[in-house]
Amino acid sequence: MNRAELIAELERILGPRGVVATPDALLTYDADGCVMDTHEPHVVALPTSAEQVAAIVRLAARAGMPIVPRGAGTGLSGGATPMQGGIVISTARMDKILQVDTANGRVLCQPGVINWELSQYLKPFGYQFAPDPSSQKACTVGGNIANNSGGPHCLKYGITASHVLAVQVVLPDGSIVWTGDGSAHTPGYDLTGVITGSEGTIGFVTAAWLRLTRLPEAVRVVLALFPDIAGASNTVSQVIASGLLPAALEIMDRLAIKAVNDMYKLGLPEAAGAALLIEVDGVEDGLDELLHDVTAICWRNGAIDVRPARTLAEQNQVWAARKNAFGAMGRLAPTYYLVDTVVPRTKLPQTMDEVGRISREFRLPIANVFHAGDGNLHPIILFDRRDRSQNQRALEAATGVMKVSIDFGGVISGEHGIGVEKQDYMTLLFTTDDLAAMAGLHQSFDPHDLFNPGKVFPKGRGCGELAALRRSGVAWSALKSS
Amino acid sequence: MNLALLRADLTAISGEQYVREHPVDRHIYGQTPLLAVAPGSLEELAQTVARLAAEPVAIVPWGGGTQQTWGRPPARPFVVVETSRLNRILDYTPDDLTISVEAGMTLGALSAALAANGQMLPFDCPLPAQATIGGLLATAMDGPRRLGYGSARDLLIGIRVVEATGRISKAGGMVVKNVSGFDMMKLYLGSFGTLAIIASANFKLIPQPRAAASILCRAATPAPLWKLINAIAASQLVPVAVEYLEGFDVAGAPCAVAVRSEGLPAAVERHVRDVTAFAQQAGVSAEPLRDAAHEQLWNAINDAPQTATLAADEVVVRVTCLPADLSNAIAAARAAAQRANLPLQVTARALNGVAYLRVRGSAEALREWHAALLKAAPQTMLLAAPPALIAELPAFGTHIANLDLMRRIKQEFDPADLLNPGRFVVGQVA
Repeated sequence: MNRAELIAELERILGPRGVVATPDALLTYDADGCVMDTHEPHVVALPTSAEQVAAIVRLAARAGMPIVPRGAGTGLSGGATPMQGGIVISTARMDKILQVDTANGRVLCQPGVINWELSQYLKPFGYQFAPDPSSQKACTVGGNIANNSGGPHCLKYGITASHVLAVQVVLPDGSIVWTGDGSAHTPGYDLTGVITGSEGTIGFVTAAWLRLTRLPEAVRVVLALFPDIAGASNTVSQVIASGLLPAALEIMDRLAIKAVNDMYKLGLPEAAGAALLIEVDGVEDGLDELLHDVTAICWRNGAIDVRPARTLAEQNQVWAARKNAFGAMGRLAPTYYLVDTVVPRTKLPQTMDEVGRISREFRLPIANVFHAGDGNLHPIILFDRRDRSQNQRALEAATGVMKVSIDFGGVISGEHGIGVEKQDYMTLLFTTDDLAAMAGLHQSFDPHDLFNPGKVFPKGRGCGELAALRRSGVAWSALKSS
Repeated sequence: MNLALLRADLTAISGEQYVREHPVDRHIYGQTPLLAVAPGSLEELAQTVARLAAEPVAIVPWGGGTQQTWGRPPARPFVVVETSRLNRILDYTPDDLTISVEAGMTLGALSAALAANGQMLPFDCPLPAQATIGGLLATAMDGPRRLGYGSARDLLIGIRVVEATGRISKAGGMVVKNVSGFDMMKLYLGSFGTLAIIASANFKLIPQPRAAASILCRAATPAPLWKLINAIAASQLVPVAVEYLEGFDVAGAPCAVAVRSEGLPAAVERHVRDVTAFAQQAGVSAEPLRDAAHEQLWNAINDAPQTATLAADEVVVRVTCLPADLSNAIAAARAAAQRANLPLQVTARALNGVAYLRVRGSAEALREWHAALLKAAPQTMLLAAPPALIAELPAFGTHIANLDLMRRIKQEFDPADLLNPGRFVVGQVA
């Protein structure tokens, strides 16, 4: 099938408005938020229904072409980048909230619904969709499901996987299936659970039943300022260890404070080395006691100021600063590389020391804005991409952060995913046998590697090869003779 | 099969005293295993599985044995592989609020270790002194406090398994947030040991609350209690458990709702006040329970769905449905039980859409009751039944979707169908 035939077939399925094929337009689909690797798709499809997605998948199989799912393209690991070309399937036109079912605590959505818009829509019902990535004003729930995304409020409410009750997916064979209806124990294997976070490699989510979370009766936000990041990190470790359960614990360091100060008029003293955003929520009763205890830990760790955000407007301003901090980085450097790793929470202070050391070693400033309560770091390496030396040092600094995180017992991604960005670092964390088990799961869904190929698994270690290795098993005779 | 040779090889791996021939105390619905072997380490477990796969002979993983009646009995002669000696804590830094434990550790032993540090893993399974972590994960058993803290699905952060060939693989890690690689934890959780044997697991822990109390609301009939349940659901209260009870002697009334609150003292008292007020509005009594009375009530509720000790004429099932459909499903079970005059006991996670039912009667009456229940609740799973009935009743309900895909997964992970053959929805695939 040549390109013209492919486009004609797609237009037959989707209508002319559902196909993007002009060279200029295709350029905008050559990467997501991770711009280290880029590649243009052959064509972009904009379906409006699961049936259209299924038809595209069957067409792609006939054309021998991969498909690459894409939500808003805010991902940071290259998950939506068509590294082998093929058909990018965008969910931009699948953006309907279909049913709010408060009696069963669930909402039915198409994948292209914007995370923020979903929570705004649910507010009058008294509910929210709890996962709240910093990119929530742009990112889609389909992307959240694909990456099992996090966000500040994961600390209390859990990751996306805990909020996806069932999904409708198009499988690589072109079939459309529901993994459940949102009830608690669907008979058989947990297909909802394995599809969530599989980065679009085993199924294309075309609808989802998501969990509704009741809005809390009361919320308190305070911002604690520290002379250095060690004080803030130690506070977080001690708050967690003390058994208090805040809704969010977020740290911004000196560089980040500087960036957001200008933009959001927070008036934070730029002498402060770190700001710790603390949110507690729940029923009104007891909340002041909780906040008092958390604040006491701040003071014990050398806080220089603890500022309550008294009004809703003040709370929103603090949160806007936190969630838009990445955007404010443009004020500090032409380019930044946002690294996402996780460490056990007691290792946070030492890890932050190491991040400082890496910044000095590679002579690049690193800002930090992160989900401290979960031990989820986000060192932001500031550099100029046009400078080849800086480019190289930024990559090496990122590798350094990953290695340090693993050395402290952590992992290489907490919420951004592996995609292309980190696929070659998977071997730092997993043995060949570990990867082979994941490949086995992949093969049972997508034996022909049609969905988002060349992602997650290390380059040069195809799923087929890894799965074959796993099937070969362990020979008892070899064990016996050894 | 040369049983003597197999036994000799397994003895060489785990030691003489840990290999037993035809152990009747490991029977499943009257079928006695060829052998039972209890490896003492991950490596011994892997070698044991590799040896059994080489035979090949079917393998039934065995933790505390409290849930071996679940699903279908083994389809072929089998060897029991026990995890009882894999009962150690592998990694525990209390201030991280995470732990890694071997699969054979009992929930009771784990809870004791955590309590010493003011922490908990609120799984609330039946018979915690016997039930093992591996068994709880394999069956995805839940407890009343899943409402407040989530179930194993939300708290399991890492896993190590021995696959059907004897290969060892892991996934996840020791951090509370992790998207490094596929979420294999979800694959093994609730897979009934049909894809791999769970060797160890890592969990996110919960700090013990500073205060806790219950409100036990009693009524002669179900209707006002469901009114109370709906009022709680519509409020901004955050109870950690709301359990509907029927035919449950401990509750001291034909029907009851137990509400459990945990957290800061002021928040707990607020729940006691508000739930009491909701109960009055619904026209039911409300008694606050604290300390020992509170603990005793929940221990009894947690144990209610146990399947380790059964009467000869008893059936135990789990009903799963959308939360708003639960009262109707229970009503159908009640009506069918009343028709045949069968005693029925219900303990239900009222806001999660999960109910555990126990009923006793003649084979004929149980058969009819089960058929009537399946019509109202097609996702009803059989947890235990008299041996005469187990082969004929649908074990996983009448609504099993995506069976082809599930069989492809089973085929990929266990092509020879060695692990728990016949027990799960995938049935026999070899």
